[in-house]
Amino acid sequence: MFLTVFAYFSVVAFIGLSLYKAYQFAKMPMHGRWELYPVPKEPDGKGHYGGSYYEDLEWWNKPRRVSHVGEIIDMLKEMLFIKNLFVNQRRQWWLSYAMHLGIYLLGLWTVMLFVGAITELSTGVSLATAQGVNSSLWTTIVYYVTLIAGGLGAILMAIGSFCLFLKRLFNSTFAKYTTLEEYFNLLFLFAVVASGIVVWSGDPGFNYGRDIARAMLTFSPIKAGTALTVHILLLGAVMIYIPQTKMSHYVGKYFSFHKVLWDNEPNLRNSQMEQIVKEAISYKPKASWSAPHINPAAASQDKK
Amino acid sequence: MGNIRPQDMGKPVEQLAKIDKLMPLPAPYDKPGMEPEFTEPKEAWKETYCTSLDGFVANETLVRPQTKEEEEAFVQKFLSGLEKLFSDETNRNYLQPFMLSFEYCAKCNTCSEACHVFKSSGEQEIYRPIFRSEVLRKIVKKHFKGEGFWSRFTGGDIDINFETIFRLGELAYRCNLCRRCAQTCPLGLDNGLLAREIRKLFSMEMGIAPKPLHEKGSMLQLKTGSSTGITKEAFLDMIEFMEEDIYERTGKKYKIPVDKKGADILLTHNAGEYLAWPENPAAFAIIFEEAGLDWTLSSDMIGYDNVNYGLFYDDAQSRKIGLAQLKAAKDLGVRRIVVGECGHAHKAAMVAIDRAMVGEDNIPRESFLPLLADLIKKNVFKLDPRRNNFPVTLHDPCNVVRMMGIVQPQREIIKAVAPQFREMYPNGAKNFCCGGGSGFAIMKSFNFPEFRNKISSRMKFKQILEAFQPEMEQDVPKYVCAPCSNCKGAIRDILEYYQATAKFNVHYGGLVELVVNAMVQFDKPFLEFLDEDAFEHLK
Ligand code: SF4
Ligand code: SF4
Repeated sequence: MFLTVFAYFSVVAFIGLSLYKAYQFAKMPMHGRWELYPVPKEPDGKGHYGGSYYEDLEWWNKPRRVSHVGEIIDMLKEMLFIKNLFVNQRRQWWLSYAMHLGIYLLGLWTVMLFVGAITELSTGVSLATAQGVNSSLWTTIVYYVTLIAGGLGAILMAIGSFCLFLKRLFNSTFAKYTTLEEYFNLLFLFAVVASGIVVWSGDPGFNYGRDIARAMLTFSPIKAGTALTVHILLLGAVMIYIPQTKMSHYVGKYFSFHKVLWDNEPNLRNSQMEQIVKEAISYKPKASWSAPHINPAAASQDKK
Repeated sequence: MGNIRPQDMGKPVEQLAKIDKLMPLPAPYDKPGMEPEFTEPKEAWKETYCTSLDGFVANETLVRPQTKEEEEAFVQKFLSGLEKLFSDETNRNYLQPFMLSFEYCAKCNTCSEACHVFKSSGEQEIYRPIFRSEVLRKIVKKHFKGEGFWSRFTGGDIDINFETIFRLGELAYRCNLCRRCAQTCPLGLDNGLLAREIRKLFSMEMGIAPKPLHEKGSMLQLKTGSSTGITKEAFLDMIEFMEEDIYERTGKKYKIPVDKKGADILLTHNAGEYLAWPENPAAFAIIFEEAGLDWTLSSDMIGYDNVNYGLFYDDAQSRKIGLAQLKAAKDLGVRRIVVGECGHAHKAAMVAIDRAMVGEDNIPRESFLPLLADLIKKNVFKLDPRRNNFPVTLHDPCNVVRMMGIVQPQREIIKAVAPQFREMYPNGAKNFCCGGGSGFAIMKSFNFPEFRNKISSRMKFKQILEAFQPEMEQDVPKYVCAPCSNCKGAIRDILEYYQATAKFNVHYGGLVELVVNAMVQFDKPFLEFLDEDAFEHLK
């Protein structure tokens, strides 16, 4: 039963800690504008060449228009393909994308395991038996999508994380900037996927995965041998670990793009932004900097 | 110290990096002897200033303490400022962007390829955008987490000694804050911002900032009204002189409106223009008068100088000046402010200060570019582009383009007046900085201009040479159009440094001068380097 509880705990920790991280960024004071073009939400093709409403005469008298589609498209390109890396650093992209695609596929795999488990629980039949895959169309689809997503995901993630580790170790420029933690993070990810591959090698159809999902859904004990226990413990640990490290960049990226680089909302008279600004400038900070031009009193005290 | 790492910042060596192999330049500057060599930093500087980074001295207020105690106090002061960067009380304006850039770097090195300083320097490690950021990160990790294993594990493996901090203060002034690096970062992080945060810490906590920016810049501006030191009286004299000058150039008498209450437009210029390039505000006056606009200049305190050097190094200064400039406009009762050819004034007045005022104080501000593009589109002026029939290329000021998204209007204008216009590559939002950004154009102490001319402006010079490649060695005049006072200063200096005007007839100037030069009603060329005879046949 410990493993079931632990599995739940790690999922909750992953989501909870990630949300907490997001909350910490969200509650920071409103920052000054620091946008950077191209801003994809600028309409009329401006989002592509880097234009903005400042190109319009008397821009403040024009209705404010925002292309949410443009923004979403750019966001998806970045999320699904890490576009910026692809465009600007192809060689690094191959390894990095292998690892990230591996993670996405393993995410899909996890979802499919639960879909499979629900199917099994509701119909009472297993997706796969010793005789082969259950012959209904739905179960066949679920089975093979799980198989492909899990298999490909594991291989890509293993290759990606290990090769990135090697590159950081042997490329002298990368090595100069890599901290012990960053090596550890890559090895940790590799260890999780490697232990998964060991388990998978004994059960190529991922039936063990569906067993775990079923156990979690019915809140019953997970039956696991040594290899599977190690794998579950590592996987849970990495899920608790990730949001506490900079591997939580899935949270940071949202803020750095949406709340900083793409936030060019002007402070127009009588706008909602003006209200926010009003509140922000009425705040009286309790502490201050100490250079003479800012705080002459503190500076002269310093000299005494 | 060939193979430098961020951890080496505190190493007791006389000079951490020696710059030797620079990025090669295209013809005709690909031959040896075409550019001056670096000079050695003077022995006498070494005792007082920070020559121990790369031999250049940018910041004359960053001086070596005399005793161990003073060194210790220097480090402590830095550390207290460091804590303020992370506090939502003292860093309200930038905490979120700062924390994001501070925390998430994946060290993928994508940004290095985008940085003109790094590339021009022949890929010197200390100029790699993440080098400076990593030094900061390491100091922070070590300061907050202490000496132990966990600190080292997360990257806190640096010596926080005087030399580390001293060199970091100097290194903050090896970045143009052009933010091209941030454009390429897959995580949206900004090494330019981190460089600025370091400058800010030194300025706002320790009172250390290059004199041209602080003492003779924003402090002087707050005191006298302008960073040039021009007073109201001097300003009014200059306007009179300008009216005479325009008469001489054009044969037409214009009355330049000053302090006209309730005008539609308050036009603001970088006050340096009146001293260095008076033809630029003159061209503006001609254009605005010919278009029949209801406009004025201001002689009010801070109303006639739109520069705001705070943008480069200090939030408090940036805010004080920004608000004072708006007040000048409010007192005049104008409907809008139009910013002339100054890039950082554009960003300071329209973007950086945007979330600092409300209601009546929030006077609309706009760039002159859409206004001029609109006038040209409406055929308000009679223009003959053949009067500008020579190769012209356009430099995009980072502050106007990458940081504000004004890309097309300047192209519409220039295409209407310059038949031989050609782009630099890359251009628009992906342009390269002129090398004078973030105050470098006005920082002339010690040997810093050498760093600018040979390293930070090198990429721009390369782009200019490439744009003019077919005609480069022909004797036709060539014109680099830089609609920003700061960029113009940097470009003036490289053309001089490489003797490109004397040897290859390359000139530079603003955009409005080209427009006035194309106006058919004037008999003489407005651009001084042009031959009057060449205009004869156009009549
Ligand atoms: S591109 Fe971004 S993530 Fe990559 S090294 Fe540069 S700052 Fe770090
Ligand atoms: S802001 Fe510009 S100069 Fe500074 S690191 Fe980035 S690209 Fe280089």
